Amino acid sequence: MNFSKLVRPTLVGLFACLFVISSQAQNKTVTGKVTDSKDGSAMVGASVVVKGSQTGTQTGADGSFRISVPTSATALVISSVGFGTKEVSIANTTSVSVALTATNEQLGEIIVIGYGTSRKRDLTGAVSSVKAKDFNTGVITAPDQLIQGKVAGLQVINNSGAPGGATTIRIRGNSSVRSGNSPLFVIDGIPLDGRNARPFINATGLGSTPDANPLYFYNPNDIASMDVLKDASATAIYGSRGANGVIMITTKRGTAGQNKLDFNYSVGLSKILKKYKVLTADQYRAALKTYGINTGDLGTTVDAMDEITQTAPTQNFNLGISGGNDNGKYRMAFGYMDQQGILKRTGLKKYTFSLNGQYKFLENKRLSIDFNVLAAHNTEMISPISNDAGFTGNLIGMALQWNPTQALRLANGNLNIIPGSSTVNPIAMQNGYNDKADMTNLFATAGAGYKLTDELDYKFNFSINHQVGVRRLTEAAYITLPGVENRGVAAYANNELTSTVLQHTLNYNKQISSAFNLGALVGYEYQKFAYKGTGISAQDFTSDLVSYTSILQNSSASSRAIFGFEDPSSSLQSYFARVNFNYKDRYLLTGTFRADGSSKFGANNKYGYFPSLGAAWNVTNEDFLKNDATFSNLKVRASWGITGNQAFPAGSAQSAYAFGQGSIALVNVANPDLKWESTKQFDVGIDFDLFGGKVFGSVDYFHKNTTDILFNFDAIQPAPATKYWINLPGSVINKGFEVTLGTPLVRNTNLTWNASINAAFMKNVMENYNGPSVLTGAISGQGLSGASIQRLASGQPLNAYYLKRFDGLDATGNSIYGDNGNTLYYIGNPNPSTLLGFSTDVTYKKWTLVANMNGAFGHMIYNNTLNAIVPIGNLGSRNIAASLIGGPVKESLANPISTSTRYLEKGDFLKMANVSLSYNVGSLGNVLKNVKIFASAQNLFVITKYSGFDPEVNTDKNIGGVPSLGIEYIPYPSSRSFLFGFNFGL
Amino acid sequence: MRHIKTSTVALVLALTISLVACTKLDEKLNSTLTESQASGILLSSTDVSVLLQACYDGLQTFQNQDGPTSLEENSSDESLVPTRGGDWDDNGVWRVIHTHSWNADHAQVGNSFNGLLGIVFNTTNTLTFKPSASQAAEARFIRAFAMYTVLDLYGQVPFRQPGENLLNAPKVLSGTEAIDFIISELTAIQNDLPNGPSAGGLAYKANKDACKVFLMKCYLNKGVYSNRAAPTFAAGDMTNVITLADQIINTNKYALSNSVFDNYAPSNTTSVNENIFTNLNIGGSKGGGVRSTWYKTLHYNNNKSSWNGFSTLAEVYDRFEATDTRRGVAYKDPNNAVANYPNPANAINTGFLIGQQYDWVTGAALQDRKSAPLAFTRAVAVQESGTNLEVTGIRVLRYPIDASPNNDGQADNDYVFFRYADVLLMKAEAQFRSGSAPAALITVNALRVKRGASLLTALTAQNLLDERQREFYWDGWRRQDMVRFGTFLAARTLKPAASDPKYLLYPIPNAALAVNPNLKQNPGY
Repeated sequence: MNFSKLVRPTLVGLFACLFVISSQAQNKTVTGKVTDSKDGSAMVGASVVVKGSQTGTQTGADGSFRISVPTSATALVISSVGFGTKEVSIANTTSVSVALTATNEQLGEIIVIGYGTSRKRDLTGAVSSVKAKDFNTGVITAPDQLIQGKVAGLQVINNSGAPGGATTIRIRGNSSVRSGNSPLFVIDGIPLDGRNARPFINATGLGSTPDANPLYFYNPNDIASMDVLKDASATAIYGSRGANGVIMITTKRGTAGQNKLDFNYSVGLSKILKKYKVLTADQYRAALKTYGINTGDLGTTVDAMDEITQTAPTQNFNLGISGGNDNGKYRMAFGYMDQQGILKRTGLKKYTFSLNGQYKFLENKRLSIDFNVLAAHNTEMISPISNDAGFTGNLIGMALQWNPTQALRLANGNLNIIPGSSTVNPIAMQNGYNDKADMTNLFATAGAGYKLTDELDYKFNFSINHQVGVRRLTEAAYITLPGVENRGVAAYANNELTSTVLQHTLNYNKQISSAFNLGALVGYEYQKFAYKGTGISAQDFTSDLVSYTSILQNSSASSRAIFGFEDPSSSLQSYFARVNFNYKDRYLLTGTFRADGSSKFGANNKYGYFPSLGAAWNVTNEDFLKNDATFSNLKVRASWGITGNQAFPAGSAQSAYAFGQGSIALVNVANPDLKWESTKQFDVGIDFDLFGGKVFGSVDYFHKNTTDILFNFDAIQPAPATKYWINLPGSVINKGFEVTLGTPLVRNTNLTWNASINAAFMKNVMENYNGPSVLTGAISGQGLSGASIQRLASGQPLNAYYLKRFDGLDATGNSIYGDNGNTLYYIGNPNPSTLLGFSTDVTYKKWTLVANMNGAFGHMIYNNTLNAIVPIGNLGSRNIAASLIGGPVKESLANPISTSTRYLEKGDFLKMANVSLSYNVGSLGNVLKNVKIFASAQNLFVITKYSGFDPEVNTDKNIGGVPSLGIEYIPYPSSRSFLFGFNFGL
Repeated sequence: MRHIKTSTVALVLALTISLVACTKLDEKLNSTLTESQASGILLSSTDVSVLLQACYDGLQTFQNQDGPTSLEENSSDESLVPTRGGDWDDNGVWRVIHTHSWNADHAQVGNSFNGLLGIVFNTTNTLTFKPSASQAAEARFIRAFAMYTVLDLYGQVPFRQPGENLLNAPKVLSGTEAIDFIISELTAIQNDLPNGPSAGGLAYKANKDACKVFLMKCYLNKGVYSNRAAPTFAAGDMTNVITLADQIINTNKYALSNSVFDNYAPSNTTSVNENIFTNLNIGGSKGGGVRSTWYKTLHYNNNKSSWNGFSTLAEVYDRFEATDTRRGVAYKDPNNAVANYPNPANAINTGFLIGQQYDWVTGAALQDRKSAPLAFTRAVAVQESGTNLEVTGIRVLRYPIDASPNNDGQADNDYVFFRYADVLLMKAEAQFRSGSAPAALITVNALRVKRGASLLTALTAQNLLDERQREFYWDGWRRQDMVRFGTFLAARTLKPAASDPKYLLYPIPNAALAVNPNLKQNPGY
C-alpha cells in the first residue's frame, strides 16, 4: 500500500475539515445598502447572494442588508426583479453600497388589475402604472393630480384653480354624451361611488358653485401606486362601470422588518399664475378719451384684482408609522394640509388618518385577515364664484369689471358700496360671503382570505364608505346683489353619501405542466349606493354681527325655505370571471366576463353581459429572438371587449312622482327598456425594450365604439314637465395612438439622467345619430341668456362648437358674421387631438432634479369671460378687456354681445407642471435616516397663446346634464406655487 | 384530506350562491313616488286637489317674459326687446321674434310648446285619478286653455287620452278639428264648473263665467283657425259671442274697476270686480314669475334694479289720448298698506314710462349707469347703436310693482287672463262683425268713458283693434288680435317689409318633430 495513496485523501479530508472549520471561525459580516440607481431610493427585497454559493439574504425595508460571509468570499451578487444583476467585490471591505439599474423597469413590476395583481410581463391588456416615486410634486390636494401628464391617453384637467376643486379626467377621450365620462376609481380593490357629498347650494344672486373633487379625501402621501386600466381586456372585469377606463389606487402598506417612522413637512407660497388683462386706470382714462366719453373717470386708481388676491401659504405634514413581520404588517399615517387660496378667505384644510393591517393565522398561514381604514375631515372655504352667474354674481367678474378709476374704499376707510347698484364692490362681496363646507369621509374595508389548497384562494371583502357634507353659507345684507341687499341670505345644507361593497372571490393558479400555467378567478360583488340630504334657507336678519346660519330663527318667516331629498336606492349585483393561460411565457391568453345586474336598468334589461378577450406574444421568449442584441424585450398584444356605462341617475327607468309644495306631479317617464351604454373596444399594442434597456416603451392603437347612447329628452308632448331616458341608435367613436418612450440618457456612478415621454393622438366623432338636436355649452352673462355654443351631431366630434362665424369688425366697429349671423357653423373642437407628457430626472451624487411637463394640443377653448364680462360696451361704467383697445378698427360701444367664433381660441399649451430639486442627506447621526430636503415649483410657466387665465380649464356649462367641454367662464384663477420641505425617517 | 378541501370549496361556493340569491335588485324611489304609490295615494283620497293645483301652477308659464306671452307680444307691433349693446342680444332670439325671422330651433318656440303641452298632460293625468265632477271640469278647462294657446301659436295640438303610454307618439289635432274639440270640451264642462267669482270671489279658479269668456274667444277666433291668411266670421259664431257676453253682463257681478291698474295690483286677488280668470300668486310664498313684468322692462337704476329690456314703440304710446288713464298714472295701490314706494315726485309709475324717471322712494331724478339722465326716449331700434342705448324706448309697467321687500321673489299680483273689459270689447267686435256697428260703438264708448278717453264717433276695424290694444296692451293677446284683424304680417316701423305668410304660425319645434311623426312641419319652415 502506498502511503501517499492513503495519506492524500485523508489529508485532503482533514484540510477540508480544517478549512471548513477555519472558514466558519473566520466568517465576516458584510453590511450594505441597495438602492435604485435612478433616484437613490431604497430597494426592498433585493436578493444578496455570496458569489459561488447558496448563501444569501434579502434587503430590508430601508434597502439595507447584513450578511455573514466566509472571509474567502470575494464578491456578492446582487439582483432584483426587473433590475440588472450586479457583482460587488467584498475582498477588502465589510460595507458596500450598491445601486441597481433597471434593465427594463416595467417588466417585473407588479401591476394592480381588477380583483388581483399581475406581473407586467403577463399582461395582455393596456395598463399603465405610476409608482409613488414618479408622482407629481407640489401642492396636491387629490390623488388624480399625482398622475397628470404621466400616462399616455389619460387627460387630467384641473377645472379651475380652486383649492380642492374638481378635475376632469378622461381616459381615451369622451365617449358618453350624457352619463358621465369619468373613469371608475378603485381604492385598494374597492370601487368608489365617484360622487362628492358636498351639498349643492344655489346662492341668491350667484348661481351654482363649481364641484369639489370627489377624491380630495385621500392623502396623496398615503398612495403607493396608481394603475390606469385602459383597454377592454383590463376594464371589462368592471362591466357596466368600466367603459371610461378604471384607475386603481393602491395605498401604502407596512413591510416586514423594524418599525419605521416617516415624517415629511413642507411649506410653500402660491401666487396668481396670470392676471387677466383688463385696462389699468390710466389706460381706462385714455380709452374714455378715445371714445369721447366724458363720464366714467372717477378720479382714483385701483386694481381690484390685487385687492382680492393674496400670496397664500400652504403647509403640509405627514407622519407614517409602519412595520410588522412575516405574520402581520401594519401601517398608520396622519396627514395635515392647510392650503390657503390665492383668493382671500378661501382655502382647504384637510386632516387624514389611515390605518391598515395584513395578518396571517393558522398552520401555513392559511387564514389572512386584512383591514384598511381611511378617514378624512376636510374644511373648504368656498369663494363666491359660480359656473353660471349672470354679469354680476361672481367675485372674479366683479373684480374684472370694477371701474379702475373708482375707489374701492371711501376716505373714511369704509368700503365704497353703492346701494341699489348692480355694480358690486368685490371686496364687499369677498368679506360678506361666508361659505364653509365641512366634509367627513370614512372609508373602511375588512377582508378575510383562506388558502383552500395550494392552488385555490378564497377572499372576502366588505367595505363601507360614508361621506357627510355640511355646508353653511351666508351673504351679508350689505352685498348689493338683487335679492341679497338689505336682506342677507343664510343657507344650510347637509348631504350623506353611503356606499357599501361586498366581494367574494376565488382565485385558482396552477402550473399544469412545466410549459403551461393556468390562472382563473371567479367572483361575486354587490354594491349599494345611497344619497340623501336636507337644506334650509332664510333671509332678513336683524344684524350681521352673528353668523346668519347660527340665528336662523331671527329670519322672516316668509323667507324661509326647506327641502329634503333622498335619491332612489341603487344597487349593482355582479358575477365575474377571468381565465389566464400562459404557455411557456410566450403565448398569453386572458378571457374575462362579467354579468352586471343593476337596479337602475329597466325591467326588460336587468342584466348586462360584458366579455373580453386578450392575447399577447412575448416574442423575445422565442428561440429566434433570445439574447437578441436589438430586442431585449418585445411583446405584442391584442384585445377586444365590451364595457358599459351606467352612470345615469337611479330611478331613470321608472315612473316617478315628486312632491312639490302641496302638490304631486309626474317627473320621470318610465322606460322599461332602459339599459347601460355599451362600448366595444379594440386595442393592439407592443411593449419593447431595445438595446439592453437603452430605449423602452409601448405603442398602442385603440378603437372605441360606444353605442346604445343614453339620452335624456323632454318627454314626447303632451307630457309632464319632465324627461325620459332612452338608449338611441348612433355611436361615438374614439380612436387613436398612444406612445410611451423612456430612455436612460446618462448612467454612471455620479450622474444618472432619465427621460420619458408619453403622447396620445386621438380622434373623436359621433356617427349615425338622427335623434333630436342636443345643445350644450350654456353661455352666461348679460345679453347671452339662453345662448349655447355646442351641439351634438352626426359627423362631428362630441361637444363640437356650433357658432356664428366672426369675420371681423366693419367700418362702424360692429361685428360682421358669416351669412349675417343667420347661419351657425360647426367650427372647432374642444377635444384635444394630442396629449403630451414629458418627465425627466437628473441625479448628480446626492442631488436630484425632476421636471414634469404636460400639454394638450389641437383643441379650441371658448372664452366666455371675454365674451360676457369685459366687453366694449362696459366702457364708461365698468372695465373692459385690454385686448379690445388699440386694434385697427375702433369697436363700436354698441356692438352687441353675441356668441361667435370671435371668442374661440386655440387651446394648445405646454405647462411646466412641476420642477423639484432635492438633496439626499442620508443618515444624520444614528437617529435620523433617509433625510432629504427639497424645493419644488408648480406651474412654473405655461407656453400658450390662449388669452384667458389658464388654458387648462373646464368650467361646467352643462345644459340639462349634457356635459360641456372647453369653456372658460370667470373661474377661480390658477396659481403658481413654490414649496420647500424635508423628509426623514426613524 | 382531498375530501375536506373539496367540501370546503363546495361550502364556500354554496355560501356565495346563497348570498347571491338573497339579493334583489328592486329600486326604491325614496323621495319620489312610484306610479302605483301615487295612484294609490291619489285614488284613495277623495280630493285630487294636489294634482289639480299642479295644473293651475302650470299656467304660471304665461307669467314669464320668455314664454308664450313673449311669442304673442314681441311678434306684434306693441312690444320688442331691443339689443342694447352688450345686453339682450341673447344670440338674437328677441330680434327674430319682432322682425318675423324665427326658425324651428328657436328656444322660446320649443320651450313654450313643451310648457303648454305639459299643462295638457297634467290636466289629462288628473282625470285618471277619479276627480269629482267639478274638479274634472276645472282640469278640462285648464287643458282647453293650454290647447287653445298651442293651436293659436302652432296650429297643431298633440293630444293624448288619459293613461296612454308616454313613450308612444300621440295623435295630433289641427285647425278646425282642434277648435271644435276645444269648444265641445268647454260646452261639456260648463255646468260642472264652480260658479264665477262674486265680489272677493275666486277668479283664480276655473269657473262658469270664465268658461263663457273662453267660449267667446273660441267663437270669435274660429274663422282664424280654418284660414289664418283670410279669416271669415260666421254669423252663428258672432251670435254665440254676443249671447255669451250678455249672459255674463246679466249676472251683474262684474264691473269695470276705477283704474284699469287696480286689476293688476298686488291686492287684485280680492279687491276688484273686473277679473274673471286669473292665475293666483301669493306674495313671498307661492306663485309664478309675475315680477318679470317689471323686471323685464325697468332700467338697472330704477327702484327694483331691473333688467333694462322690453320696450314699446312711440306709435303705440301715441294711440292714447293724454286724458286716457290707461296710458299711465302715478298709481297708489289703495289696498297696499305698506307704502314702500311713496313716490314723492308723483311720477308716473304704472303704464307707459317716458322721459325723465324718478326714484319712487326719494323722489330724486335718476341717472343711468353712465351718469346721464335716466330719460326713456320715444325712439327705439331693434338693435340699438347709439351712446344712449341704455335709455332708449318707452317702458311699460302693466302690473303695479309689489314693493314689499319680502315679496321680491314672489310678488302678490295675480296674473290676469280674462277681464270683464274683454267681455265688453269682444261683444262689441261680434256686433261690429255682425253689421251692428252702432250698437258696438255704444259698448266701446261705455268703456272709454270709464278710462278717461273721449267718445268715438264711429267704429272701424282699425279703431276697434286700437281700442283692444289700449285696453289689453302687454296682456298676451296682441298677436291673436292682429291676426284676426289681418294686420299681423303688414310692414310696420321696425319690420319694414310685409312678412311671409308662414309667420302666421310658429314652426313645430325640431325637437318635437323628431320624436312625434304625427306632427307635420308647418308650411314654409
